[in-house]
Amino acid sequence: MAGLASWLPRRHDEDTVPDGGRLPVLPALRGLLPGGLKRGTVVAVGHWGLLCLAVAAGASAAGAWCAAVGLPQFGVAAAADAGLDPGRLLLIPDPGAGWPQVVASLLDGCELVLLRPPGQPPVQMRSRLAATLRRRGGVLVVAGGWDDAQARLVVVRQEWAGIGAGHGRLRARRVQVAVDGRGAAARSRTRWLWLPGADGSVGTVDQIPVSGQGMRDTG
Amino acid sequence: MTAGGDLPERVLVVRCPGWPVTDREPGQAGDGADPGGGTVRDGGPEAPEFGQVVSLVEGFCPRVEVLHPGACAIGARGPARYFGGEGALAAKIIEAVTGGGFACQVGIADGLFAAVLAAEHAQRSRGTRRARPGAVMRVAPGRTRAFLARFPVSVLDIPDLADLLPRLGIRTLGEFASLPAAEVANRFGTPGVIAHRLARGLGRRPLAPRPPSADLSVGQEFDPPAGQAEPVVFAAKALAQRMHDGLAASGLACVRVQVQVVWGSGREITRLWRHDGLLSALAVAERVRWQLAGWQDGQAGQGGQDGQAGQDGQAGQGDDAAQAGGITMLRLTPDQLVRDQGQQLGLWGDAVVSDRLARAAIRVQAMLGHGAVTRPVRAGGRGPAEQVTLVPFGDTDDRAPRQAGPGRASRTGEPGCTREPGRTDGPGSEDRPWPGRIPAPSPATVYPAPLPARITDDSGATVAVSGRGVVSAAPARMSADGTPWMAITAWTGPWPVTERWWRPRAARRRARFQLVTEDGAAWLVALQDGGWLIEARYD
Repeated sequence: MAGLASWLPRRHDEDTVPDGGRLPVLPALRGLLPGGLKRGTVVAVGHWGLLCLAVAAGASAAGAWCAAVGLPQFGVAAAADAGLDPGRLLLIPDPGAGWPQVVASLLDGCELVLLRPPGQPPVQMRSRLAATLRRRGGVLVVAGGWDDAQARLVVVRQEWAGIGAGHGRLRARRVQVAVDGRGAAARSRTRWLWLPGADGSVGTVDQIPVSGQGMRDTG
Repeated sequence: MTAGGDLPERVLVVRCPGWPVTDREPGQAGDGADPGGGTVRDGGPEAPEFGQVVSLVEGFCPRVEVLHPGACAIGARGPARYFGGEGALAAKIIEAVTGGGFACQVGIADGLFAAVLAAEHAQRSRGTRRARPGAVMRVAPGRTRAFLARFPVSVLDIPDLADLLPRLGIRTLGEFASLPAAEVANRFGTPGVIAHRLARGLGRRPLAPRPPSADLSVGQEFDPPAGQAEPVVFAAKALAQRMHDGLAASGLACVRVQVQVVWGSGREITRLWRHDGLLSALAVAERVRWQLAGWQDGQAGQGGQDGQAGQDGQAGQGDDAAQAGGITMLRLTPDQLVRDQGQQLGLWGDAVVSDRLARAAIRVQAMLGHGAVTRPVRAGGRGPAEQVTLVPFGDTDDRAPRQAGPGRASRTGEPGCTREPGRTDGPGSEDRPWPGRIPAPSPATVYPAPLPARITDDSGATVAVSGRGVVSAAPARMSADGTPWMAITAWTGPWPVTERWWRPRAARRRARFQLVTEDGAAWLVALQDGGWLIEARYD
């Protein structure tokens, strides 16, 4: 009967995602973030991009509300394709100078906050946000640098498939993602992902057959 | 309601002959008027001229209902009391209207239907075809049914009944009115019931069973004035509960709730909050807190302070409340009352906003403004920026953005030249086909305003696209918004799009390209009006 739960659309009025200690991640990211996103921690992703959305998508798909702060360029369609539910998404494109307060307030209601800070925040501000995070049990996904992040993900290499010199179109991207961090995540790992795959979703490269022709076309 | 409430109010109808409406009565139209000192009006004057009559009548009663050009109605009860009786009122109106150069007759009766007939009858009752301006037909209160009884059923202006009733032997309204109401309802349905009510001298329908005088607002005075925000918010919760109870007792819900806060200094802040019958008492109290906090932030900003409420956003409200002499009064008034239809949540699949989330979002809105917290709603469009509409949090029906689950953009093939009429430039709907839509995958970065860019070919000349969609040369290098030049390693396009060509101001012609630059990044760029724009970035 495990299939039934996924067959029925889930009610979204549950306040929290089950599994107290961690927020789930997409299956494709389990190799990089085993066990999911630890509550009360910061995950830093090198730059804003689909990888940020992919990190957040697992929790959103599991029923968590997400907020995106300081991201006027947030691509909602790409987020939806990656698995993030736009119905449970708040966008605060311009939080202004008081962004730490905004993030702290949002952590009261959202379990995952995507943040692009205007710059590297001072230590005091970081520690205050970290305290709020621990108290609320949320996860902060930062696009950019964040010194004491639990995990840091970066795109090391990327190759677009499907587009040539004047023909084809962007179809899929193969990226090599590296992760390092503290604690259980201390050991550095790299994985190849389809980010995005041909249908916009995120997959590990061995899941999706590679079209040799397509890969030769990349730059 | 009681039977007394069923009776229509006294209505006075002013009818000017000669307006187009009387043309169907040959011999009267064009006959003109011959008022003492008045103007003879031949033919049908234009409708706008009737506005002069209306403005003359407005001198007696500000609320004039224009029935059609040539006839208007007012409620007679109030003006009649002021001007010394219905007869005196009618005389004064006739004097004013004929003085303005218009012929008129006046009818007064219970209800609009009878009053219109009375006004017409005032003209005819003299037994002459010559219009008798200044004639008044007054039907005494309660005599309306008797007055109507003589009229043929055709005056009901319901063709089916006017045809059917005489064949059943019912020729006058009096005969029709004597039928039992239940039988009429059985036999003739809703139109018959309405006609039957009119024939009996009643209104078209029973009055809405809601006393308009009922004051559902609730208020509390604070003596001594409250120097802190907390007790006011606390009182607001109880007040909101009382207001909701009052509304529920009347079977009503309010669309908005008005929160009025008065300070000892006389300062007053009134604000309307969306309610839709969905807010709990606690949620209304939160709105009050927000209103107080917003006022306090405004004060702080004026005082040159940094305007940031502390970490929890509430500290220090009390000081400012005390400065203005304390809060002396709080009043909650339901606005836009509607019948409470009840709120039924979907059985499943609705993304219901939990209280916890709503509180967090509202608190951020209190800091940044209502429009700063938005929810995306998927919309239709070709470019990535058009496929999403941002709606401020709280403005959507919480169950409206039904995008549950990962939505999948419809897959289209290679986009070709697109010319699709019939669309407006408002947000389209997502489920329509959008030929020429940018194919999946979607870009993660969609610039709210496209970035200017320069794209050149090998020789350094800007790449152009001809009217027939031919690229001048392969794009070789790109500089985004003044950044260093990057070599283009792969490209595809152009995908020409001609949108809204039927509307010159919104029309747009673009030729879109997808590019991959040497750093591995992929871009969605467009050439429009000779300039290159970066619409989105696939990262």
